Amino acid sequence: MSTVSDAAQRFKESSIGSVLEENSSAALVLPGLLLWSMFMLLPMVYIFILSLTNAQPANLFVGDNRLLGLVPLGEADFIGLENYIELLFSIQAANDIQSGAYGAVFDLFLSDPVAVFNYSFWNSFLVTWAFVIVSVTGKVLLGIAIAMIMTGNRVRGKRYLRGVIIMPMGVPVIFSILVWRAVFSGAQFGLMNQLLLNIGVIDQAINWFYDDRWLAFSTYVVTEMWLAYPFMVLITVSALQNVNGDLLDAAEVDGAGFFSRMRHVILPSIRRPVMFGTILTSAASFQQFLIPFVFGTGAPNDQNQLLLLYAYVEAFSGNKSLYGKGAAISLTVLFFIGMFMWVAVKRGNLAEEAGEV
Amino acid sequence: MSLASGIVRSVYEDLRGIVLAPYNLAKEFRYTYHGLQRGEIPPKHVAWTWISTLGAVLIAGLLMFPVYWMFTIAISGGGIYSFEFLPTNPTLENFIWVIGPLTVPDNIVINGPLVGELFRIPVPASIGGLYILDPGQFGMPRRPEYYSGFIAYAENSAYVSFWTVVVAMAVIIPGAYGMSRRDFIGRKKLLYLYILLTQVGGGLGIAVLIALYTIFQNLGWLNELLPLGIYYGAGAVPFNTWLLKTYMDGIPISYEEAAIVDGAPSWRIVYEVIIPLSKAGLATVFVFIFLAGWTDFVIAQLMLDQNNWTLPVGLYDYSGRPSEMDWGHFSAFALAFATPLMLVYFFAQRYIESGLSFGGMEG
Repeated sequence: MSTVSDAAQRFKESSIGSVLEENSSAALVLPGLLLWSMFMLLPMVYIFILSLTNAQPANLFVGDNRLLGLVPLGEADFIGLENYIELLFSIQAANDIQSGAYGAVFDLFLSDPVAVFNYSFWNSFLVTWAFVIVSVTGKVLLGIAIAMIMTGNRVRGKRYLRGVIIMPMGVPVIFSILVWRAVFSGAQFGLMNQLLLNIGVIDQAINWFYDDRWLAFSTYVVTEMWLAYPFMVLITVSALQNVNGDLLDAAEVDGAGFFSRMRHVILPSIRRPVMFGTILTSAASFQQFLIPFVFGTGAPNDQNQLLLLYAYVEAFSGNKSLYGKGAAISLTVLFFIGMFMWVAVKRGNLAEEAGEV
Repeated sequence: MSLASGIVRSVYEDLRGIVLAPYNLAKEFRYTYHGLQRGEIPPKHVAWTWISTLGAVLIAGLLMFPVYWMFTIAISGGGIYSFEFLPTNPTLENFIWVIGPLTVPDNIVINGPLVGELFRIPVPASIGGLYILDPGQFGMPRRPEYYSGFIAYAENSAYVSFWTVVVAMAVIIPGAYGMSRRDFIGRKKLLYLYILLTQVGGGLGIAVLIALYTIFQNLGWLNELLPLGIYYGAGAVPFNTWLLKTYMDGIPISYEEAAIVDGAPSWRIVYEVIIPLSKAGLATVFVFIFLAGWTDFVIAQLMLDQNNWTLPVGLYDYSGRPSEMDWGHFSAFALAFATPLMLVYFFAQRYIESGLSFGGMEG
């Protein structure tokens, strides 16, 4: 008995023991972290390995070959950075780079800069950014406007109205997106077509997703705004409720009109929470997958394939599935999301907003 | 069970508020009317109240219009779906199609998760097999294949969400408590990581989809509901741990100190002080976690075969290609799927608002 407690005592006094004891509370957090890592971090490592191979259904699920005895790789071969090069550059330029003919690539660039790059990828990349910029602006403005109206002094039944207003947040995303697909349906019964036909703006049904790329793009933006405004409203409402009433009264007594109160009192006090919400919602826009997936898989002609959808289509298209290529795109997306987040965190003082760190 | 009774009480209060709304409104009208007559309330104020309230209601109505439109389609039959504000010949046919024929089962079987059948209660033969909902009464066929399979999809979804909630709650509550009240090496870094992940969460799942699919394929987990439920639980960890942690931060530490002085062991402090005080936070987190399992579409449609489809995948299937979809069926299915969740949100709104107010102290 005494030897056991002696050993325990010595263990406690040793440096490892004391470190363990001081940090025993970490045991509360570890299960969650491990669970998350198992389903998110491991796949991330695996996706990196896959992106260096020519994996596809035909070779990945064959045989029992495991890298280091752990990572299932089937009969897929490592091909280095080939996937990435093919992703960023056009077929011709990628071939030149792989054969070491950098001079040829440079010449091609001088004669026709666009021909050097992979159109699908860069198109998808730029469309994604356009989508982020346009939809985030829309969401934030709409959210603030609705929040201001719904907290107005003279509006009765605010609580119930707000309950109605935030409902889009409670309905499943797939429901909302399918409803909006019906709204923008190319059929005659699509709500938008019915409306425009009745007003007389158009005389035959518009095929919203397939006629014109920017028309389709604008349906994405409208849908995304509808999906995400409740979140902005929630954040803004709770920020507006924390605006110092004394300041507002003082401003009013001093004769400040609505717009100067807005500019000098309200906006400065809600700036930080709204900034926080904006960052969150920008990330959501950047990762939008379902809207283009449901609205015709990035139609017309795949021109509106946002980045994640582009990766998905490369990876899961029946016989032409290319896991390696899809993995490379996914990792590129992850990289950009990571960079974007990093900048946003540095700029937005996100950590302080969360109250800690 | 103070959490459950608290929720029941507040839902009851909300319902009472809605039911009594006309009465209160009438009282207010009378007050305003008399005030106006006696000149105590300036007419300008009354006009402003009317204008802003009507404006707000109009905006709310406009925002919800697509959902209302779905509703009008769902209750109108006959294959012509020109918009009518109130459909002239409302019918329940589409909703009956969603539910399908319901009969009294011959045996009531209670299944436990993983272990399978627990109890089997035989039902008297006199009522066994009787119709609870007989589509024949509405002139619709009795063949089960004609109907949507909504209930089978809902069972799959419930099974998935059950595991999502169990797994996620089991790790999130201790995690949030540890983050909020204890200190250890790397705590701040981990919190920072979680905050970052709250924003990358959903997209991350899709970005690693390829790896996830091949891993599930290798482990033989494709078309299995349990691993899917656990996966959703894992994905819900960062955001909800952080949310619950910020909520727990708002609970004054003096309550715990009082309990310590009274000699309560730490598990009792958590059980009797922290959990009751963070019920709003727990309710919010519960809703978010449950919805993660109940509403995900992308992963489920890739992993599951038709016999195991969850509700979102079933719904997507009925949306079909726009040219050949049955609008009435689709709308009814969609509403049957989404309406319960809308109601939960409507009543949980005050909890969600206070849970999302980042450290605000309420309840």
